[in-house]
Order: sequence, then C-alpha cells, then structure tokens
Amino acid sequence: MKWKRIPQQLQRLIILAAIFAVLFLIVRSFLIPVDFGKYGHYRASAVEEIIAQGMHYAGQEACYDCHEDVFETKRGGFHQNVSCEVCHGPAFTHAETTDTAELEAPTGRGYCPVCHEYLPSRPTGFPQIVSASHNPMKPCITCHEPHDPEPPQAPAECTACHAEIARTKSLSHHVYVPCMRCHETPEEHKINPRKVLPGKPKTREFCGGCHAQDAPADKGIPRIDMASHNVRYVCWQCHYPHLPEAR
Amino acid sequence: MPILKEVSGYIYPNEIELHWGILIVVYPYLTGLVAGAFILASLVKIFNVREVQATYRMALLTALAFLIVSPLPLLTHLGHPEKSFEIFLTPNTKSAMAMFGFVYAWYLMAVLLLEIWFDYRRDIILWEKKESGIKKWFHKLITLFSSDASEQSLTFDRKAIKLITIIGIPSAFLLHGYVGFIFGSIKANPWWSSVLMPIVFLFSAIVSGIALVLLIYMVVTPMRGKEIDMACLNKLASYLFYVMIIDFSLEALDFIHRIYESEESIHILSELVMGKLFVSLIVIQLLIGMIVPLLAIAGVKLFKAPDELRKQVYFLSALLVQVGIFSTRWNVVIGGQLFSKSFSGLTAYKMTFLGLEGLLMSLFLLLLPFIILYVLFRVLPPWEEMREAQ
Repeated sequence: MKWKRIPQQLQRLIILAAIFAVLFLIVRSFLIPVDFGKYGHYRASAVEEIIAQGMHYAGQEACYDCHEDVFETKRGGFHQNVSCEVCHGPAFTHAETTDTAELEAPTGRGYCPVCHEYLPSRPTGFPQIVSASHNPMKPCITCHEPHDPEPPQAPAECTACHAEIARTKSLSHHVYVPCMRCHETPEEHKINPRKVLPGKPKTREFCGGCHAQDAPADKGIPRIDMASHNVRYVCWQCHYPHLPEAR
Repeated sequence: MPILKEVSGYIYPNEIELHWGILIVVYPYLTGLVAGAFILASLVKIFNVREVQATYRMALLTALAFLIVSPLPLLTHLGHPEKSFEIFLTPNTKSAMAMFGFVYAWYLMAVLLLEIWFDYRRDIILWEKKESGIKKWFHKLITLFSSDASEQSLTFDRKAIKLITIIGIPSAFLLHGYVGFIFGSIKANPWWSSVLMPIVFLFSAIVSGIALVLLIYMVVTPMRGKEIDMACLNKLASYLFYVMIIDFSLEALDFIHRIYESEESIHILSELVMGKLFVSLIVIQLLIGMIVPLLAIAGVKLFKAPDELRKQVYFLSALLVQVGIFSTRWNVVIGGQLFSKSFSGLTAYKMTFLGLEGLLMSLFLLLLPFIILYVLFRVLPPWEEMREAQ
C-alpha cells in the first residue's frame, strides 16, 4: 500500500505510534539492566550484590568451637533446635574476632514471650504463659536456665503447656472435669512431654461412664442410649471433648 | 490490640488485620464505571439507537475520566509506586496483575483515546478554523495536525469508529473481567473462588456505568440550561432496568449455586452474610441497591407515570444503584477477608480516616474523576449543539 493513499489522519496516527514505539524502545534500552533475565525475571547482578553484602550470622557450629559447655547443656534440652543467634543476636564478627564484639543475652522479661506468650494459634503442648500474671517483675532467667529450660518444678497444672485447650474447656460443660479423669498422665510426661505421652479414651464406653442411661452420675448430665446412638462411631468423631456443645 | 475485641471465634494471627482495605474497594468500583460507560457508548454506536445519541460522547468522556483515575487506588496502595512502570518494560507473562497493565494500556491507547479522537476530529478541525492563538494551536495539536475534513476522510473516521467499537467491547469485557478474574482465581478463598466472578463483576459494571451516565446527563443538562430529553432518559432507564435484571439473576445464580454446592465453608459464609455483612449485603446491596430501583423503574413504566415523577424516580434509582454497586465491591473485597481460613472465626475491618489508605484518600479518588470530567467537558464539549453542521 502506498503511503500517499493512506488517509491523512491514519498517516498521523501511524507516525505518532511509530514515535511512541521508538521512544519506548529507547527508554527501554536505557532503563532495563543489561543482565536482566539471565537467570530469571530479575537482574542477574543482584545475586552478586547480595553475595557481596556483609555476613552477620555465623551459624551455631561456629559457636560450639569455643562454647562446648553450652553445647553439652543444650544437647537434649527443649532448646536444642533453637540456634544460639536467635537469642544472642548475629555473631559473625564475634566469631571472627572473639573478644572485640561482645554478644549480649536477653536478661529481662521482654524477649522470651516472643515465643512463650499465650497465643491461641500456638501448638498445644507448647509452653505458654500470660506474662502479666506469671511471676511478674522477675526476669525469666531467675527460674529458667535458657540453655536447658526445664521448668523449676514440674507444672502442677496442665495449663502451663496446654493453655489453648484449658481456655476452650473453661467455656464448656466439661469445665469441672479434671484433665486426668480422661487422660492418664504419667509423671514423666511433665519432664519429657514428647517422649512420654498421656493417654486418651479410646472407647465409647468411657464416655458412657457419665453419659449412658444407667451411669452413676449427676442428673443434669445429658444421657444417651448407648445401644442406639450412632453405634459405629467413637464419641469424639462428632463431639469435641474439650467443648462438647460445639457444632 | 483493640481489634482483638472484634474477633469472634477462632482466627489465625495473620488474618486479624485486613491487607486490602477501602482503596481496593474503590479500584474495581472505578474500573467498573469505565467498562460500563464504554459499553453504553458502544451500544449506541453498534445498534445506532437514535434516542440515546446525546449521551454517546458523554459516556466516552466519562469512561476516559474514570479510566485515568482507576489505577491510582492501586498505586496508592502499593509500596514503591514509582517502580510500577517497570511492568511495561519487562513484561511478566506469568503474572495476571502485571499483564493487566497491558490490558489497561491497550484499552486506554488503542480503544478509548482512539475512538474519542476519531469521533471529535472533524469538529476540532472546524473549531480551530474559527479560532486564533493558543487555543488554535492546542486544537491543532489534538488533531495531530490533520486537516482533512472531506467526506471521504469522514467516511473513514466512521468506519474506524465502528471497528474500534467492535474491538472495544471485548476489550472492556477484558478490562473489568480481569478484576473479577483476580478475585475468582484465588483458590484458597471460598468467598472469591468462583467461575462466575468475572461475569458478575462485568454485569454489575455495566449496571453502574449506565446509571452513572444517566446521573451525569440528568445533572449536566439542567446546569447548561437545556431541557432533558425524555425519550433519551426513558431509553437509558430501560437499558439500566434490563441489565439490572441480568445482573440480579447472575448474582442469584451464584448465591443459589453456593448454597446447593454447600462446601464446608458454607457455615462460616452464612454466618458472615447474616452477621458482619448483613447491612452492606442484604440491606444495601440487595434491597436498596437492587430490588428498590428495579421495582421503582418497573413501577413508573407500568403505570405510565408523568415525566416529572419519572425523572425523580430515575434519578433516585440511579443513585441507589451507585450505592448498591459500591457495596457490591465492598462485600467482595472486604467480605472475603473477614473470615478465617480455619472457617471458624471472623475478624473486622477498621477503616482509618487519614493516611494513604484511609477514607479521605478514597473520597478524593472518587471525586477526582469528576474534576477530570469537568475539564474534559470544557476541552471537548460533548453537547449536540457543539457539533459543527455538515
């Protein structure tokens, strides 16, 4: 098609579009880094820049070269998987020069609650406290050795670790049923919670102990006919024992 | 945290605060108005409906004013908005959001601006012939110094407009369908994850666009001391009425489908709808924004009401539709973030007044298109009497 035969307004638009395209290409060539897209949708030299950044963390193996005593204490304790630098801060310079950059340890009450303050979403069995009421004014390290943080005495109550369940249960009709009535718990569980587990009721008859028609229990407790009430299921498949009235 | 008092049931800690606030409500509302106004203009062009010819240019300029503002809520919400142009330099085909930049640019450059340019070209050439000084040069610049207003070149203009309209309708569908697509493709969120989402978004957009043009027409015409053309208004109201019926049916279909499907999320969603969203969804979106205007427009049509009453009913209905569609956007964006992924708890949205993501900023962004539209009306008057006689 000859240029002359193209309508005038279309000629103008074509020129404008061409100017736009050329400008775009020029701007693009200036603004896109040369090494963009070499490895992926980013600037390849960014990787070099990140590598060139100063090191901050040494990694806990570097700590154990000098602090073997702490390593021994930590080994097998609850904090064995908590790296040294989580509490002591980045230690690269300290590991390189040993005496110049002294590390600090959190000694107040502010740091431990980062992990141990009560939060409903923490896994059950994880030690949780409400710091406002848990020995207020005392720094954590007066009772707990951070490298092997066993509680100073075995917790009298299950709530120390099972806070979420305890709070749920406190709203339910089972509020006055002590944990131990359903969970057989060896004393060892308080020392080694992951190794020695408490028991759980496994049969319908266990709940029937209170909820069967002929159970020797209070009048107000809901009763069911054990012979006809969903015989093929165990109770906790429909009823959450810590909050049995929940839908 | 005071917000914790608003949380009911069980919710994960990272769900307590909403990440997408009122700005992300404003964004689909604005793009919807763009697509809606443009589709109205296209209906006028394609089916050559004489009655609503008066609103054709108005609808195009409305779409342009709102399109200029529609990315601003996103840019305001983003960290580092100054980097946003990079999505054009290095296109990422795997990112829907990055690709939308191109949909937006295509729609602005290749559809809306081109159609307005072709439609106004002849008039501007004739205007600048009578002018002098800066105004003359400004108009010359707008026409890209093209001076050919012969019958042959005008025929080409008309053909070009026809072609752009045909390309423009799917483009408008793409523009607003994308917004629905973004929400609809979030698999983890049962309130959003629906195939119908882009379609429902699109039809609610057409509803809001037509209602907006109707409102602008009804406000601007008396301000210019002109008489409102009842035939035009009746036709606009009819369009609004029919599209609202389609939109209402689609939303009902989506709703019934969810209830029939009854996935495990149905309990928390019904709790959401009957609780925290009751006012904004059942009362405002459904009753005030949909059923009342539908009945009102149907009423005046059925009982052949006098013109004055019709005007008032149309005006109020269109206003209610705007409120309703805005709450539609609110219910999708905010509603989808109010419930926990555990399906057993709800949080609340605390809107700030000041700040980049606050109510004041949103009100400014909602007002800005009208300021731009005023300027556009001054620069490119869409009034029929400004069209130069052949």
